Amino acid sequence: MRAPFRIIFEQRSDTPKYLTALVPLVSVFAALAAGAIFLMSTGYSVSETYSNMLQDGFLSSRGITDTLGLSTVLICMGVSAAFAFQMNLYNIGGEGQGYLGMIGGAWAGLALGPHLPSAIMIPALLVIGAAFGAAWIFIPAFVRARLGTSETVTTLLLTYVAASLVNHFIYTPNSYFRAPDVTFPMGRTVPDSAKLTAIGDTRMYPTFFIVVALAIFLYWLVKRTEFGYRIQVISDSPKAAHYAGINSRRTTMQVMLISGALAGLGGATLIVGEFGKLDPGITMLGYGYAGIVIAALARNNFAAIIVSGILFSGLRVGGDKLQITTSTPIHIGVMLQGAILLFALGGEAFRRYKIRAVRMQAVAQ
Amino acid sequence: MNSNIWVLTSANAVTIATTLILAALGALFTERAGVLNLGVEGILLTSAISSFLAADSSGSIWVGLAVGAAVGALLAGVHATLTVVLRANQIVSGLALVIFGTGLANFLGKPAEGKTVATIIKPMTFGPLTRIPVLGPIVFEHDIITYGTIALAIGSAWYLFRTRPGLELRAVGDDPATVDAQGLSVARIRIRYTLLGGALIGLGGSWLMLAQSAAWHQAATTNGIGWIALALVVFAGWHPVRLIFGAVLFGFCLRLPFTLQAEQITFIPSAFMQMLPYVATLIALIALSRPGSKNLRGAPKSLGNPFVRDER
Repeated sequence: MRAPFRIIFEQRSDTPKYLTALVPLVSVFAALAAGAIFLMSTGYSVSETYSNMLQDGFLSSRGITDTLGLSTVLICMGVSAAFAFQMNLYNIGGEGQGYLGMIGGAWAGLALGPHLPSAIMIPALLVIGAAFGAAWIFIPAFVRARLGTSETVTTLLLTYVAASLVNHFIYTPNSYFRAPDVTFPMGRTVPDSAKLTAIGDTRMYPTFFIVVALAIFLYWLVKRTEFGYRIQVISDSPKAAHYAGINSRRTTMQVMLISGALAGLGGATLIVGEFGKLDPGITMLGYGYAGIVIAALARNNFAAIIVSGILFSGLRVGGDKLQITTSTPIHIGVMLQGAILLFALGGEAFRRYKIRAVRMQAVAQ
Repeated sequence: MNSNIWVLTSANAVTIATTLILAALGALFTERAGVLNLGVEGILLTSAISSFLAADSSGSIWVGLAVGAAVGALLAGVHATLTVVLRANQIVSGLALVIFGTGLANFLGKPAEGKTVATIIKPMTFGPLTRIPVLGPIVFEHDIITYGTIALAIGSAWYLFRTRPGLELRAVGDDPATVDAQGLSVARIRIRYTLLGGALIGLGGSWLMLAQSAAWHQAATTNGIGWIALALVVFAGWHPVRLIFGAVLFGFCLRLPFTLQAEQITFIPSAFMQMLPYVATLIALIALSRPGSKNLRGAPKSLGNPFVRDER
């Protein structure tokens, strides 16, 4: 028996503006609704869970400043992912490149010593962290540009290697990064000159504004410069790019290295900010993976990433506090992230196509 | 250094290879149909915890395995809906599945933390065969799922290359337009094998839980095995039988750090030993993508591309 209806996909010639904004918005609400059904069926309170997440993530003054504080690293990871994704290069190892940024930042802080002024130390930590992140993506970038090796699996595999590296630096006795005179293995704190002070009574650091400015700069870079144009042409049509004399190999290298550097910068902001030292706890936090979701939800638009980054940060902050305020497992936060992305992907179809159900007879005619 | 540790590592390699083969076989069927499912790690985790909970509450391992496989198919169904029906980007959808699956598994696993399954799948006994030195523990000390998995991989090669549906499957991955012109539904075939692939991955995750670890350690339960399985498909040139050898090889790399640690061989820092499977996989992937590599010939030609027929 055949279905009486057929689903027809009609490619839209031009997408209405309102759909571009509506689809991500509806995805978020659809994911929250699906999450509510899931919470109910597993016996947790929906209203308690969501009202606590909303209160602790966005509405209380502690909540919103914590959210903006955490969004610093998340926006960084988001722009890192988007920078590669926009050229159909799927760097999904931002997580590992972020660890390397932390290692680089911590190393710079400890090595440059306590005598240099903050005006030199802070930029140095951020730049060296970014360089470490770029170095960590070098091999996947090189083999992708030269041999065409799929960057998805290679970048991801290196994340596991990076996690082992972080653990090695902290758990090995007498390690350079390990705090001496403490039996419990933990990182050695960088000198005060390498740390920023939090804004007022919050857990927000000035790096937030640097990262927001960076996202806006990247938006400009991609939309308004020749480099951005080259990326656009390669992603739209590699063949056209080839005939136009664009060196795709070089652009692939550049784009992937910048993506790695941005993730490394994200790791380094944690050193000058709330962590102040290399901390193996980072390997549990999954900021790099969140960056992928943030980028995809913003459809790789760097300005939109600021918004989706703050939104996700709020979900995390609110979700993490659930452990204290309710009995709901904190993992609902990560689950919702995944669900939002799944709904956003499904919603894409409605943005790109007019979808209609047609009676079978009508099709046959 | 005694030879025992190598025998032990090899025996353990065959054990862990079971999950690798099942997960990679699932990915292979999916990819042969032209669908790339990067969500393997998320499916493994979710099916592992589901099988744990099902086995724990029903008291039966077999119920656990069945539930794990069903959950795997269900998650793959989400991927199929998004990528085949709604034509979403396969890479991003797979990643979403990893993130969603990890969150879901940790959420469901909260009550299971610190608990173990009462009964686990036991190795089969072959009497005196097990006592053969070296060969005994490596070949004759596994459970029925391990032997079944190896048989399944061999059977899959026959199915893929010697049967009519196998031909159709390969054709859908290589040249969907021709299959469509033959009057077969590309979407239906792709959905079917994505679901089958998900069930196989789910079975792998369940077995990992019920036969091997028997305790829930959150994301550390799988610890990247899903990604290694994806690389393994490339390593095997999309051929099911070659998966078996690759899986044992990677399984060896995965088990070696534990064996060396148990034998207190510490001249290599343990962190570097833990990197070994990932570094080995990375090197294998790079080596196989050099120009003129025979391996890539098995790659489905339209892998990752949604099939869009011109609608009237």
